[in-house]
Amino acid sequence: MSDSVQNKLKYFAKRAVILFVPLCAILLFLLFPFYWTFVTSVKPSEELFGQTVTYWPQNITFEAYEKLFSQVNFLKPMGNSFLVASITTVITLVVSLLAAYAFSRYDFKGRKGFMILFLTNNMFPTVLLLIPLFSIMRSISLLYTPWALVLAYATFTIPFTIWLLSGYLNDIPASLEEAAMVDGANRAQAFIRIIVPVLIPCIVAAGAYIFMQSWNEYTFAVMFTNSANRTIPVELKNLIGQLGVQWDLLTAGGIITIIPVCIMFFFAQKRLVAGLTAGAVKG
Amino acid sequence: MNKKRMQPWPYLLIAPALLFVASVIFVPVLNAITMSFQNYDLRRPQNIGFTGLENYSAIMIDREFWSSLGNTVVWVLLAVSLQFVFGFIFALLLNKPFRGRGVIRSVSLIPWVTPGVLIGLMWRWIFDGNFGVLNDLLLRAGMIQEKIPFLSQTTTALPSVIVAIIWQGIPFFALMLLAGLQGIPGELYEAADIDGASGSQKLFQITIPSLKNTIYVTTLLRIIWVANSVDVIYNMTEGGPAKSSQTLSVYIFLKGNQLNLGYSSAMAVLLAIMLSLVAVPYLRQMFRQN
Amino acid sequence: MKKTFSIFIAVIMCIAIFTACGGAGTAPAPAPAPAESDSPAPEPTPEAPESAEPVTILHWYWSDNDSWTAAMEENVADFNATNDKNITVVLEAYPWDGGGFSENLFTAAMGGGGPDTAQFKLTATPLFTANNLLVDLESYVNGWDKKDDINDNIYSIMRSAHESNGLYVMPFCTQILYVYYRPSMFEAAGIGIPQTYEEFLAACATLTRDGTYGFGMRGAANGHEPWGSFIQAAGGDFTDFTSADAVKGMQDYLDLFNNGYVPPTAPSDGFNEIIANFQSGLTAMVVHHTGSFQGMVDIFGDDVSAFQFPGGKGRWTSMGDTNNVIFEKAENKEAAFEWLAYLAAGKGQEVWTVGTGNIPVSTTVQNLDFFQENRFYKASIDGVSFAGIFPIRDTTTEFITSAWPANTQAALLGQVTAEQAMAEMQKVLWDQ
Repeated sequence: MSDSVQNKLKYFAKRAVILFVPLCAILLFLLFPFYWTFVTSVKPSEELFGQTVTYWPQNITFEAYEKLFSQVNFLKPMGNSFLVASITTVITLVVSLLAAYAFSRYDFKGRKGFMILFLTNNMFPTVLLLIPLFSIMRSISLLYTPWALVLAYATFTIPFTIWLLSGYLNDIPASLEEAAMVDGANRAQAFIRIIVPVLIPCIVAAGAYIFMQSWNEYTFAVMFTNSANRTIPVELKNLIGQLGVQWDLLTAGGIITIIPVCIMFFFAQKRLVAGLTAGAVKG
Repeated sequence: MNKKRMQPWPYLLIAPALLFVASVIFVPVLNAITMSFQNYDLRRPQNIGFTGLENYSAIMIDREFWSSLGNTVVWVLLAVSLQFVFGFIFALLLNKPFRGRGVIRSVSLIPWVTPGVLIGLMWRWIFDGNFGVLNDLLLRAGMIQEKIPFLSQTTTALPSVIVAIIWQGIPFFALMLLAGLQGIPGELYEAADIDGASGSQKLFQITIPSLKNTIYVTTLLRIIWVANSVDVIYNMTEGGPAKSSQTLSVYIFLKGNQLNLGYSSAMAVLLAIMLSLVAVPYLRQMFRQN
Repeated sequence: MKKTFSIFIAVIMCIAIFTACGGAGTAPAPAPAPAESDSPAPEPTPEAPESAEPVTILHWYWSDNDSWTAAMEENVADFNATNDKNITVVLEAYPWDGGGFSENLFTAAMGGGGPDTAQFKLTATPLFTANNLLVDLESYVNGWDKKDDINDNIYSIMRSAHESNGLYVMPFCTQILYVYYRPSMFEAAGIGIPQTYEEFLAACATLTRDGTYGFGMRGAANGHEPWGSFIQAAGGDFTDFTSADAVKGMQDYLDLFNNGYVPPTAPSDGFNEIIANFQSGLTAMVVHHTGSFQGMVDIFGDDVSAFQFPGGKGRWTSMGDTNNVIFEKAENKEAAFEWLAYLAAGKGQEVWTVGTGNIPVSTTVQNLDFFQENRFYKASIDGVSFAGIFPIRDTTTEFITSAWPANTQAALLGQVTAEQAMAEMQKVLWDQ
């Protein structure tokens, strides 16, 4: 009897050391600034610059959140950001998946050249590309529509996504689909039935990368949109003037932009797990 | 693996991607490269003209370029390696089954979702030498006697911005590596268990080899991304004090903002070449197995 | 071989795409617009349309806080309703972004887009006029009935930003720096308002006690404005930073830090930090303008007041500016001027300056009781006679964002001497 208790204790101790302690340490590091942002958003300003740092506001106020929706109309930019980021994610994923498949499953002339080409395009800082980009967007009449951002973001996320997905594809043995092809499936069928299910977690991860990139981008957003289709980063930056940062609004805006994305990812995760089991059954 | 012959499929498959990239950034990039061979300073547009390698030779004797490059090396090495290590550990932890895993996985993305505008300001606020919460915590813990002006000293400014970028980058690695981990067939581990392999043996003989390409790609992409990032440094320190936290990308950004586009482009070209050189061994590794 | 082939393919595809795009687009505008910077030549614009014909003016502005947005929106609504020329102003807010506003404005204008009129900082003038983006306002101002409502000296400051003294910028409002101080701290230290530069330096020392510092120093970008007062008070001027007097001013500035009369965070402190430090009682004095007085009064009530930076061998305080410009691309420049004139001297001027705490450029508005009776406006107006702007050259932006902070910080941290720092700054601003 005591043996099993001891074993259980041992098991929990081991689990604490190799799982919960490091997990909590990393989570503490990752989440503390978020906590601090939140506390700042509900602190009255006199407390913000007090001589003593308070870890929980003495007088909690949600004024900033009210203001954000009544005065700044924060829902609209959120909608715009969401629209742009979602469309970009879908387009980029489809386009990159095709290309990544080519890079990882075919050996063709110019393969390395193309891969390098994709990589180097992303190495130039936007500050140097902005004027010609602006006139391109203008001349194809996309300026001040959400499509300008979709096009720009897709362009800048496609190369990285291709690389990411080819990395994952290279880690999946080609024997998997070859077996299916021996069974009579054609290449496309093998790809959709065999590779895609295995790849789902990676597609979700790459999708998260694209979404985040488009969700948080500022430089293109400020140049290619106007008040009709402003996105969140621009609205947030509007809260920082020469006369200082509107801390309460800025942090409240930050919190509000973070939460829906996390919730969305939570559900994507669930679907992902479901997809995984489905894939496993088929495989 | 299909052998090398002229077949249309791979080209058709990459065509849409190429179309996007070519239609939008190909011309601006070529334009930037061209500017690097010109005296291209929009503050003095009447003097614009080709000057050959003059920008490049000026860069070679620009002390600020070399010190920024040095900072870039420190910045990239420390930031990427620590992001990777913590991100990998985090991914391994999140791959273990425990209650509430789904919530923690999504919550751990927070640093990545946080708008760039806010990251720099928030960390500047945390590191603040007068009201910063970090100083307060260290004081309360008795680890320091006097507040440290983290962002105002040449010795602590760069390490401080590195902490902020590590914070921001951990979720990227965690998420990407976790996705890779989930693709490793469970049978491999079961077989190893039967053979009585230890935890670290499994890590080095199964996990890491199966993730090889994912690790290569994510670190390479991260190196490029971190080397080019400006936001966090600029918002936290503007590259200061006394340029001690100014990386090459911040220098390029400043020169570009001041509209000395020729000089700025030439530095960008050099940075791109250096990053490509970093990418070459990665590429070799990636294609070796195929 | 492989590489050549891949490059070949890439080039072919690009050409194909671009011919396609060119066909689809409305204008055959080649992408790299900056290459033909002098081409946006003023097209022969049609004569101003009849008053009945509707005109739309797109105006870009940045907002420094809520009150800026509110005042600007009120002005636009009023102007659109009351002007008799059927002009409709459309407002677009762009983030100030630490000066990024000017760069975005420039990028858009160089890329062939951008607004008809915009809020503008004088320092950006050389860049915009060198690229022929702005309209010369000379003839418009000369034909304006309220021209004389704005002091000549303000026009000449606008002109000083242009290499051949052209008037490309329409005055809107100014901000004159002064010293905020805490009367209670002065009382506790047993000193009065410093009357000379030497007294000011001494006050910084005396006020440093019990966890407070005498002065809030701004060592990050844009700190050159308060710094300029030290240089000039010590007898230096901005044409030669290397003169003995200018170097002495720099040394005084460094000594404040070395002696611990300013917070140890000074080298990296920007606007947010110096204001937070003052508002929390960490510093006894700080230099800023009327834009922040409301916040100060909200916190301290009567325990905050203002005085002008005192003189020594010389005397100077920085006059900041917010102005408006018309772009060459504006189709109806008369209508655009009508709008800027409304902002400069009409009802728009009053609404704006009263609402935002800026100093009016219109004499009529300056004489309103609102500006005459407030202690902070009084301090600003006390400075009018010796207020000036930092020299505006095409190198000024580089000086403000790079050379000044980097060299001053290096000197504060003891890496270089005052002389060396000043010599480096001289090189950048004056191109020597």
